[in-house]
Amino acid sequence: MELLNDWWTWSPRLLEGLWVSVQVTALALIIGIPLGLCLAFLSGARSRVVRWLTILYVEIGRGMPALVMLQMVYFGLPEIGVVLDSYIATVVALALTTSAYTSEIIRAGLRAVPEGELEAADALGLKRGDVVRFILIPQGFRIALPTLMGFAILILQVSSLAFTLGLPELLSQAYSIGASTFRYLEVLTLAGILYLVITVPGGWLVENFDKRLSRHLT
Amino acid sequence: MEFFLAILSAVPTTLLVTFVSFALGAVIALPLVAGRRTRFAIVRLLSKGVIDILRGVPPVLFVFILFFGVGSDLIRWEPIPAAIVGLGLISAGHLAEIYRGGLMAVHAGQFEASAALGLTRTATFSRVVGPQAFRVVIPGMATWLISLLKESSIVSTIGVAEIMFVTNQSARSTGEGLLPFIIAAAVYIALGTPFAAFSRWLEKKLSFGRRA
Amino acid sequence: MTEQQQPPASAETILRLRDIRKVYGDHVALGDVSLDVKRGEVLAIIGPSGSGKSTLLRCVNQLEVPDSGTLEVVGSNIDFATRVSAADLLGLRRQVGMVFQSFNLFPHMSVLRNVSFPQERVLGRSRDEADKVSKELLERVGLADKMQNFPQTCSGGQQQRVAIARALALEPQIMLFDEPTSAIDPELGLEVLSVMRQLADAGMTMVVVTHEIHFAAEVADRLVVMADGLIIEEGLPRELIASPSTARAKQFLSAITDR
Repeated sequence: MELLNDWWTWSPRLLEGLWVSVQVTALALIIGIPLGLCLAFLSGARSRVVRWLTILYVEIGRGMPALVMLQMVYFGLPEIGVVLDSYIATVVALALTTSAYTSEIIRAGLRAVPEGELEAADALGLKRGDVVRFILIPQGFRIALPTLMGFAILILQVSSLAFTLGLPELLSQAYSIGASTFRYLEVLTLAGILYLVITVPGGWLVENFDKRLSRHLT
Repeated sequence: MEFFLAILSAVPTTLLVTFVSFALGAVIALPLVAGRRTRFAIVRLLSKGVIDILRGVPPVLFVFILFFGVGSDLIRWEPIPAAIVGLGLISAGHLAEIYRGGLMAVHAGQFEASAALGLTRTATFSRVVGPQAFRVVIPGMATWLISLLKESSIVSTIGVAEIMFVTNQSARSTGEGLLPFIIAAAVYIALGTPFAAFSRWLEKKLSFGRRA
Repeated sequence: MTEQQQPPASAETILRLRDIRKVYGDHVALGDVSLDVKRGEVLAIIGPSGSGKSTLLRCVNQLEVPDSGTLEVVGSNIDFATRVSAADLLGLRRQVGMVFQSFNLFPHMSVLRNVSFPQERVLGRSRDEADKVSKELLERVGLADKMQNFPQTCSGGQQQRVAIARALALEPQIMLFDEPTSAIDPELGLEVLSVMRQLADAGMTMVVVTHEIHFAAEVADRLVVMADGLIIEEGLPRELIASPSTARAKQFLSAITDR
């Protein structure tokens, strides 16, 4: 069929674009999640100022659309002298958004660690630092993992918005092929399929994980 | 100051797109969740497939497919209808899962008791299970509504004159980069916060009289 | 068969609680409770729920902090009217081992790791040393074959025995047991009780909050009955159970023995 032929022709460019999407997603997660972990701890800090600043950051990060964040970082920051290329701007914006959302996800995970385990650790004479490092964080992360994975899939979808920054990711490539061939429907559908190839199995993995995890968390 | 006014004037459009898509999605999600729960395996599979696709595709891509793809070949869309249908279908996917969660949370015994009492399926759902599921889905639906409010910004890419579109215009026309975006962010947050507060209030009201 | 005997009168008192008081709003959880425990003694505490027995136990290792009173444990002196330093707290907890009703093993670590990890971090033992001690202890409690398993794959009785091994690995001077068999099937609970019995025979000082009257009667050297935040009776287990002197104790004991 002619369609399959066209898909075959367009695939290399689209796959390149997909690769860029995956890269920025991965980088955003690698930077954003540890940041989210720090924020999760800062939100419980002793100093009221620190707590409030953290809450402010998280509420702003979660309350503004990712598109606004992306465009603000790319188009807005140059005004104060910070000029980033589309790739770095995308990673920075997505990392900031990730940190805000994951701080809440991780906080919930940390809160869900059974109190008894922490008490036992205290009773054994483990220092606070050790309890946090060896029990609270590993367990908290395990609990938060399905939600974090779901979020990772979401960020991959959000990365498509970076086309407004001119980043040559998947949607951007698909759109430009569409613009030159006027076969928008066909190429956008292929792009959609490529996204689905990652997001749908990813979603099943998360569901599976969730089920397995709730069994282990007596 | 002009930014602020320009952006404010776009708020009604944003709200229109958000609420109408939400309503559309809330309705379309009903047959979808029904499909997920039928006896017929094929319908179940198809429903799950549709829901997975609606949730797995980036919303902006979906809206593009409708506007540029379907639009150019088959029908001529205006931006706003395309935006509403696009976001509405995506909402249907998410809301169907939320409905499903609500139905699963209702004790199986309720279905059995209704059947034993001789209630029709419609009566069971509308009078017994529905109200109970409703309580569980409200927080989920409220959360989605807030997400949808933010998601509505993507329709700026197909030319709908909502908040993001106007913000972009302002930024480009004046070359003043940062301020318009900060205002836009503030407006979205200002719109979203009452929703969040309302949803928490609603949750509290609904958990009244809940015997553990 | 264990003979019920009091530890020699010359045995030192290694735990001394005086006037321990804890109040939650209007509710008096502990009302000026005092208690002494001698080295090598096995003390059983029984009583209805809400009597404060668990709270009292948890005051010993500071999982609950009393509002007032004093605590002497193996040489540390603590006055609850003043704040306890973190260093004192750690020192105290290293001498006192605790076994919980819900076992509280670390689910992300294997059985062996559960027992070795605290040794490494708290006592500074090397991995090899710790593992060696862990293996011995796990053999003693009958779980040598479960070393590489994770807690979720073990039964309640097995998990509790691992918890006992974990606490023993730190070589505490006192072992506290907070209703150790309440969350386990009776049959599996027997395994745990037998381990506790062995421990008592070996001379460990133990304070056990329990519902297991038989255990109290057969293994404990002394029985304490609590109700409403106070100690209402103390004495030799068999005698006390056979003929309690207070009406309250009588009421409670008949409820659990005349089932």
